[in-house]
Amino acid sequence: MQVHRSIVTLAWLLAAAGGAMLPVAISPAAAAGDPAAGKQVFETACSICHSPQQGHNMVGPSLFGVVGRKSASVDGYNYSPAFKTLGVTWDEATLDKYLAGPRAMVPGTKMTYGGLKDDTKRANLIAYLATLK
Amino acid sequence: MRSRPAATRSLAALAFGVWLGWHGSALAQPAAPTHEIPQSLRIEHQETIERLTLLTHHAGAVGAEARKALTLFRAHIAREEAFILPPLTLLPELADGTVTPDMKWALAMCDRVKSEREQIFQEHTQITDAMNALAAAARTAHDKVAQEFAEAAVGDSLNDVELLEPMVLVIGEYLRTKLPAGQ
Repeated sequence: MQVHRSIVTLAWLLAAAGGAMLPVAISPAAAAGDPAAGKQVFETACSICHSPQQGHNMVGPSLFGVVGRKSASVDGYNYSPAFKTLGVTWDEATLDKYLAGPRAMVPGTKMTYGGLKDDTKRANLIAYLATLK
Repeated sequence: MRSRPAATRSLAALAFGVWLGWHGSALAQPAAPTHEIPQSLRIEHQETIERLTLLTHHAGAVGAEARKALTLFRAHIAREEAFILPPLTLLPELADGTVTPDMKWALAMCDRVKSEREQIFQEHTQITDAMNALAAAARTAHDKVAQEFAEAAVGDSLNDVELLEPMVLVIGEYLRTKLPAGQ
């Protein structure tokens, strides 16, 4: 808990130093995740359908900038009706829930992926996704 | 020249032999689908199996992942041809406004797709997993053919989920509204 507060404080300071006065929330999941390991997870579990490049939609939408954006908001991608009405912002918590069981969180999603059950891999993946900006 | 009774017996024996051969071989094979599927999809299935079979002969992890995927694809395609895709053969006639009582056969298939939709979706998730594994092996081996197959296959899978399976459900609902009551 103390570590989490320290990370949030550090994020505030970094944001302020960069001239951005908005708070940067870093969840424990993302803070604990290893982006390098997460990139490996991405390449073996996601990259067949998703690109990390901006504007490059494949079978699934580009995941560039996914952390912090609203669901179903990528230009040029036709989402399922279930996604169009989902109305969440992708942060560490919502991504964690979705990646653990896509069909459980969004019944009707057309993402044909059963879910990433391993907590560590999920945290690593989310940490990697947070770098895509 | 043989007598007529002898010739008749010979013909009967021959006919029985042919019947036995026909039915014997039929019994030895898996039950054939009772209805056709659209020819475009038949060609697509044949090409998928042929391309994947070729990949099974690739060296190392690519070949190993292709062999696992081939088992999955064969099972999925068999189910598709048994009851998911046959109703789609009715589309040209339905589009022309023709509905006849002999189309009733499709209702049971459409109902089965509806009741097994989640299970069918889970099969697609298994195919995605298999294509992820194949693509990962292909990247490591710099195997462009396998990589392209995997990417195309997930596109086909999405096509099934987005278009073909919902279309079968719509056909079922349409037939129910158009077929005479009691059909």
